[in-house]
Amino acid sequence: MVTVTFSGARDGEAPLTWGQRLMWRAIHLMGDSQTFLSCPWVLPVYGRRDLGSVLDALRVLLERHESLRTTFASTPDGPVQRVARDGELTVDMVESGQDRALRVAERVADELGRTAFVHDKDLPLRCAVVLKNGRPTALALAFSHLAVDFQALNTLSEDWKILMRGEKPPPVEWQPMDQAAAEREEPYPARSAKSVRYWHSVLADGPLDVFDHPPREADDPRFIEVGMESTALAVAAQRLAERWTMSTTSVLLAACATVLATVSGRPRAVMQLVHSNRRDPRTRAMVGTVEQDGLFVLDLPGTDFAAACRAAQRGALRAYRNAHYDPFEMQAMREEIGRRRGREPDLDAFFNDRRTTGTWPGLPPVGSDEDVARLVGQTRTYVTNAWPGVRFKAFFTVVSAPDTGKLTLIVDTAYLPRDVAEAMLRGVEALLVRSLTEDVPMAAIPKVCGIGPYAGSPT
Amino acid sequence: MTAEEYTRRLAQLISEVSDGEITVEEVLAAGHTLSALGLTSPARIRLIDAIEDDFGVEMDLSDEPASFEDVGTLSALVARAQAVRETTRAW
Repeated sequence: MVTVTFSGARDGEAPLTWGQRLMWRAIHLMGDSQTFLSCPWVLPVYGRRDLGSVLDALRVLLERHESLRTTFASTPDGPVQRVARDGELTVDMVESGQDRALRVAERVADELGRTAFVHDKDLPLRCAVVLKNGRPTALALAFSHLAVDFQALNTLSEDWKILMRGEKPPPVEWQPMDQAAAEREEPYPARSAKSVRYWHSVLADGPLDVFDHPPREADDPRFIEVGMESTALAVAAQRLAERWTMSTTSVLLAACATVLATVSGRPRAVMQLVHSNRRDPRTRAMVGTVEQDGLFVLDLPGTDFAAACRAAQRGALRAYRNAHYDPFEMQAMREEIGRRRGREPDLDAFFNDRRTTGTWPGLPPVGSDEDVARLVGQTRTYVTNAWPGVRFKAFFTVVSAPDTGKLTLIVDTAYLPRDVAEAMLRGVEALLVRSLTEDVPMAAIPKVCGIGPYAGSPT
Repeated sequence: MTAEEYTRRLAQLISEVSDGEITVEEVLAAGHTLSALGLTSPARIRLIDAIEDDFGVEMDLSDEPASFEDVGTLSALVARAQAVRETTRAW
């Protein structure tokens, strides 16, 4: 075990940013399952570098990015972020032995994320150096989601590459404390008010639950993540997106929302969309958590799936547009609706596209549209993870993978058993693959997808 | 503001939200959709913010996405939104 001592440019205390507020609430809602929100990450050591220079590069990251030197605490005036100027990070050493170093680093990063952060005391990251025959090969890290989001992790990777080349990354101009100050000034409050108005218009009426059927006895652990790896899914999404001149995200979102609406037996799907939200140019290179949730509504059209995709594209634009708000203000509105309607609407259906680009550059060559259907035979589904209490009813994630369509679905097994979750993933694939070769009318969706309204199962 | 002035200002905003990847001239040269010029989804959201801040209007996103593909159509939308705002003020 070694210690990295850092000394940054400034310290300070500020209210939480909007992104941090969202995560603060999520962490407290999830309780013991909050490790779901840990962000494991691996920074490979490029070239032959000794331990000293690797630890020095880590020190530079800690000094550059205030987010990595921040603790979070409740105060009588609300939660705050506290940036430390100086401090120490303890770093473990792990010898990879015979195993591939990067594989070991991934495993260590996952393990580091399995313990919840004590946010008012701990730095928001844990780190181990993975060594092969005594030489550093990678940093295995786990971050608190209060400190980073997906884009921040990519920024850290970019910084890391520069540092590993022995160069100096450009100065950091904008930090979460600056962002917290900016969010108190226009146009931020006006945008927040506008977003809250839009959400209110959706939540004022409509169903209070994601599903109408009663819960059954849940599995243990209650929440499971089912994954699907499908080349057919990626090829079909890419071809349909080109054909209909929209993003692959819109096509995948439309298919997931259509399947969710079909399973819930409703003509409308309401889902939260995780949005990177880096619209203020100053936030683009900021290490911090900026992601916020948008509220997406898809009313299934009377015509066909192509129309559903166009509607989803429009719905996503509205959702993203209104994903910029003060989460505390939003929560106050949701509580007000809760008082009026008896309880707050349950918004625990999600869609998150975690890819950094909208394509799959490593897809194998595939022939005609008819050939894509034959690839379905190679698709596999599996259970990847389980948690006692992540509180999602249905959470679709498009996972970043260069050479295959990787879609996962977290379900609450009290509402959707594993076989239904698998059928939903297969249904998304079937819908896109069939749409390649024929126009799919909405009335044909249950038959094409092999799913129908799920009424629950007798317990 | 004339239609031409609207269009030129919009072209400047589009260039800004794309970080200069798309030039004002490219936007003004007819024949390409903004998607074809490389306007990404995040840039599109920034464009809506920029339009609302710059022109002081609220964009109606219930329009077909195709309206956001052509600078001419977009400038007509903005002009319409400004007219709505003026009418509301007059009340």
